[in-house]
Amino acid sequence: MRVATDVGGTFTDLVYYDYDEATGQVGEIKTRKSDTTPPNFEEGVMNTIDQAGIAPAHFFFFAHGTTVVINALTEHKGSKTGLITTKGFRDVLEIQRGNRPDVFNFYFTKPTPFVPRHLRREITERSNFKGDIETPLALDELAGIVEDFRAEGVEAVAICFLHSYANPANEIAVLEELKRLNPELSAVASHQITREWREYERTSTAVLSAYIHPITNAYLDSLERRLNEGGFSGNGFVMQSSGGIAGMAAARRNPIAMVESGPASGVLGAVALGQLIGEPNIIALDIGGTTAKCSLVENAQVRLTTDYRIDWSRTNAGYPIKTPVVDIIEIGNGGGSIAWIDEGGKLHVGPESAGALPGPAAYGRGGTEPTTTDAHFITRRIDEDYFLGGEITPDMENVRQAFASLAKRLEVSIDEAARGIIRIANANMVNALKLVSVNKGYDPRDFTLVAYGGGGSMHAAALARDLNMAKVVIPVNPAVFSAWGMLMTDLRRDYLRTNLMLLDESATSEISSLFDSIESDARDDFQAEDIEADSLILQRQADMRYIGQDHVVKVDFPDGTITEETIGEAVERFHSTHEKEFTFRMEHPVELVTFHLVALGRVPKPELAKISSTGRSLNDTVRGNRLVDFDMDGIHETPIHERALLEPGMVLQGPLIIEEPATTILIPPGAYGEVDNYGNIHIHLEKQD
Amino acid sequence: MDPFNGEIIKNSFTALSDEMFEAMRRTSKSPIIYEVLDFGVGITDAKGELLAMGSGIPFLLSSLETLVKGVIEKHSPAGINSGDVFISNDPYHQGAGTHLNDCGLVMPVFFEGELVAFTSVNAHWTDVGGMHPGSMTPSARELFQEGFQLPNIRLFRDGEPVQDMFDLIEANVRLPDMSMRDLWASIAALRVGERRLQEVFERYGKGDVLDAMSDLLDYSERMMLHELKSLPKGVFEAKDQIDEDGQGNGPFKIKVKVTITDDQFLVDFTGSAEQAQGPINVSPLALSSAVRCVYHAVTNHSVPANAGTFRPLEYICPEGTVFSARRPAPVSTYYEGMAHAVELVWKALAPHLPDRLTAGHMVSTCVTIISGLHPDTHNFFVYVETLPGGWGAGHDKDGVDGTGCVANGETFNIPVEVKETKFGIRVERYTFNDEQGGGGTFRGGRGMILDYKITSDFATLTTVFGRHKTPPWGLLGGQDGTCNYAKVIHPDGSEETFGRAAGINLSKGDVVRLVTGAGGGYGEPDKRPSDKVLDDIKNGYLTSDQAAKEYGVELESQ
Repeated sequence: MRVATDVGGTFTDLVYYDYDEATGQVGEIKTRKSDTTPPNFEEGVMNTIDQAGIAPAHFFFFAHGTTVVINALTEHKGSKTGLITTKGFRDVLEIQRGNRPDVFNFYFTKPTPFVPRHLRREITERSNFKGDIETPLALDELAGIVEDFRAEGVEAVAICFLHSYANPANEIAVLEELKRLNPELSAVASHQITREWREYERTSTAVLSAYIHPITNAYLDSLERRLNEGGFSGNGFVMQSSGGIAGMAAARRNPIAMVESGPASGVLGAVALGQLIGEPNIIALDIGGTTAKCSLVENAQVRLTTDYRIDWSRTNAGYPIKTPVVDIIEIGNGGGSIAWIDEGGKLHVGPESAGALPGPAAYGRGGTEPTTTDAHFITRRIDEDYFLGGEITPDMENVRQAFASLAKRLEVSIDEAARGIIRIANANMVNALKLVSVNKGYDPRDFTLVAYGGGGSMHAAALARDLNMAKVVIPVNPAVFSAWGMLMTDLRRDYLRTNLMLLDESATSEISSLFDSIESDARDDFQAEDIEADSLILQRQADMRYIGQDHVVKVDFPDGTITEETIGEAVERFHSTHEKEFTFRMEHPVELVTFHLVALGRVPKPELAKISSTGRSLNDTVRGNRLVDFDMDGIHETPIHERALLEPGMVLQGPLIIEEPATTILIPPGAYGEVDNYGNIHIHLEKQD
Repeated sequence: MDPFNGEIIKNSFTALSDEMFEAMRRTSKSPIIYEVLDFGVGITDAKGELLAMGSGIPFLLSSLETLVKGVIEKHSPAGINSGDVFISNDPYHQGAGTHLNDCGLVMPVFFEGELVAFTSVNAHWTDVGGMHPGSMTPSARELFQEGFQLPNIRLFRDGEPVQDMFDLIEANVRLPDMSMRDLWASIAALRVGERRLQEVFERYGKGDVLDAMSDLLDYSERMMLHELKSLPKGVFEAKDQIDEDGQGNGPFKIKVKVTITDDQFLVDFTGSAEQAQGPINVSPLALSSAVRCVYHAVTNHSVPANAGTFRPLEYICPEGTVFSARRPAPVSTYYEGMAHAVELVWKALAPHLPDRLTAGHMVSTCVTIISGLHPDTHNFFVYVETLPGGWGAGHDKDGVDGTGCVANGETFNIPVEVKETKFGIRVERYTFNDEQGGGGTFRGGRGMILDYKITSDFATLTTVFGRHKTPPWGLLGGQDGTCNYAKVIHPDGSEETFGRAAGINLSKGDVVRLVTGAGGGYGEPDKRPSDKVLDDIKNGYLTSDQAAKEYGVELESQ
């Protein structure tokens, strides 16, 4: 059996299917959802497994995504951490970058550092920018520091020295000495997580890694213990922010890489789905209760960034973590987003959300503000009688009451107010989709929108139409799509190393030896995890720029022996990628800034089971009809279909609604849907030919 | 009009100015654009009233309006045609109002044959000619030494570039490749704005969009009037001084009177010193951006900046002062004078607006320019940076440590590892400045110390460090902060200390020490809770002697 669990803020999702490793027989994909159980998240994981009636003893493959890391960071619930830096630079962590994003706020505050000044200690040592050690490490200074840390109750230590991306020797020496002085102390050095330059970002990365290291490892220990108690003897993996999985041991060594595991797996799911159905260019859209997240995928390649920050907003600098993360834009617009009117009479939707508690007014759990979900009830897009598969009876009186005062202030009817809220929510999400596409030089018309999460399928068609996109795909089980994505990913580890060099024929041997050395590190790491050499795929990339410029462009570096030709090819790839992203190319020499190796360990994945056709007629899939408000497209008597009954080849002419227990799929007038062999629904926005 | 479409149209103005901002940043070739974000983009209505703008620094709030209104005034609506683009960098008349480096472009937007809006961009070019590379020079005595002037003239006609103009510009800048690229980046941004705006018109119709434009301005005005009601009413005054102009002149006394009523915010700088010989002057157009900046900060900075936001704002300043200089006074480091104008209003209001304003801060951008040869490559480099410093304490918090002054916004420091690699320069330390100052119930934020060791045989240094004689002011019993300064320490131990200075020669082994001061304190120091004093001792911000002396807190003997 192959199993994936995804611990989210509200729910813990489970996706699994039977797979006979011997015969290759593939079973149907099944899902389960239950409440997330902070602070003991493993409880929720085991609950879903129990409720599904399956046993860890039968798990051959178990993948896991979790919010444990991001929660510990945003709620400041990690370990007491100390920092050791190069002499003269202990304040780098607190100076940050000296910027003030909230430019008109003269009463701003900076993000508080995770390590106070008295726990930031300096040690005599110094390397120059070439990585040469100019001042030897004074290791004898460490004992006093460790003693002070002990007296202060420090549980974890971060180490970051200047230019350690070029030469980590002094960091390694401190790690070893720390281990000797106090084997119990958890320690992380910056080079273990990132070998890119920029000392603040690297220091912050080391500090945040150290800060969550002990509790994340404790969590993985408990989870593994619980699984083992259930007889688990298969392969356990943890979802990484880079969109790959890592074995449990590797995950323990670098837990900060889990920081965005849930969102990343959704995007990876979209890539896998795209490959299955022949769509390499995708915009993935995940609409949940509080936020909408989107990410662009070109040629089945996710976009990674190491310019990742937690707690970042337009008015807050946040904390950088230089771990590779799938490039995702998130906005405060989800099902629970609250509609409100400010002092000047302007209507806003979000970013404030009713969340899971009290939740939208319809939940009847004390929510009194109108939300996007409530607007879907008023417009009858969500069925009052089939909300969450009929498990919850919406409190429609409460919904109407929530809308009454808003409608009154706007001098419109309740119906108009509901339509307007959905329209504004859509406009907000269109802006987010433009940020990942148009604003980065991509034309949305060249992409297919893959929509998932509880709310994706309610809005996707309207958003795609707004952006002139031709097609939307709603996957099977969209509400647990992120967990499904974990079943479709490979082992992945990214190696980034800053090492500046002019990219011309003279660099051949240097580039060659650097890639060789990184590739050999990768082979060693994977071998340590028993990954066969022949299932290992190494992809070379490089961050490059024009000499004198600051911003870099990521380019696929040619495989094979490095020759003058391959360098020429790399330079040409850089010019054309630069032109696409920045609209121009220059005659200037090109500089290689950071070597990037993507190491993928292919995980054998069974072909998904196709759904069979019984020749059922479309009429037999109809649950009923109701009058649905499609806003600008009018109010229509609309047939409601049951998703579970749909079969491949069926064509669903809008206006039409497809319901499944966890979500509702909207096909507006003028559009039509098609069911593919796997049960995914393809919505075409143009009229059928 | 449908109220929801109205909201969507209004939001689309912000979204399209964001898109223009991104287009500019993405297509520019100069670090001052894509790193320092010293540019503004936005749209105005057909009368030149600002609808939405994006900018990485807070000092450009009037620049797009003065540009567009300049075009309307000079060329008259009837003389403005589809396909025109106008360019101006005039600080004194029909331009962005800042300095010659800021080259502003204006493009009219037509829909159904009617002039309905303008898109505009104002961007800092790295060089616009003049007596020194970079064009901003502390030693200039007149505008003509600070670069060429583009007096609100056509750059495009009928959608085609006026080639003569391009040739003229290209011949007059030191970095033609960079500047011409930035010019095209600006044009790309103008076009993105134009295209998006036309899409909005096509989708919602002319009438609704024009209505939404005026509704938006009315809305912002309503929000601000609502805000004014909650501000303290009365007349508030402050005095201060600009220490010197970089040419040894000064101090320049400055003075403000702020009058707040239920529906007006009036700023009067009458009585401020006459304009300076050196380029710290602010033109009357730029002063408008200064008062907008501080007004926005003390009212409600979350209301987007547009012409409606600033309707309740008025300002007065007689001609010829340091805040209202006359042509051809030099203005290339206008941001120094402007930061003082902003902070002067802040000083007048700080005692009355404890939730929004702190004690005084470092004020100056503390710009350093070092040029020399990379010790390995022997390539000549010019390195420009600003230094963060201490901000003032507030009624419920200590001042923010090490952050760029009010003239900087989303402006990043340059990492030690990057500058050592790029320029071969050596950074000896980069820490908070523990020098005592800014004490109070809440203490001022810490300034910085940055030590460079010169590694090449020869280098030159220019510094623009204001507030190096008059420290940031304390508030309600809080102590004053400490001064900014630069210092050169020679290998033989001799040293020189200064604030603003141009072209100092350095040699190998010299140490350049750049120091920014602490912000002002808030409230009497003896009211500071002793646990906070002890924390400061623990964190090395205070010695136990200082704690006893300044705060009356004795460290218990262990």
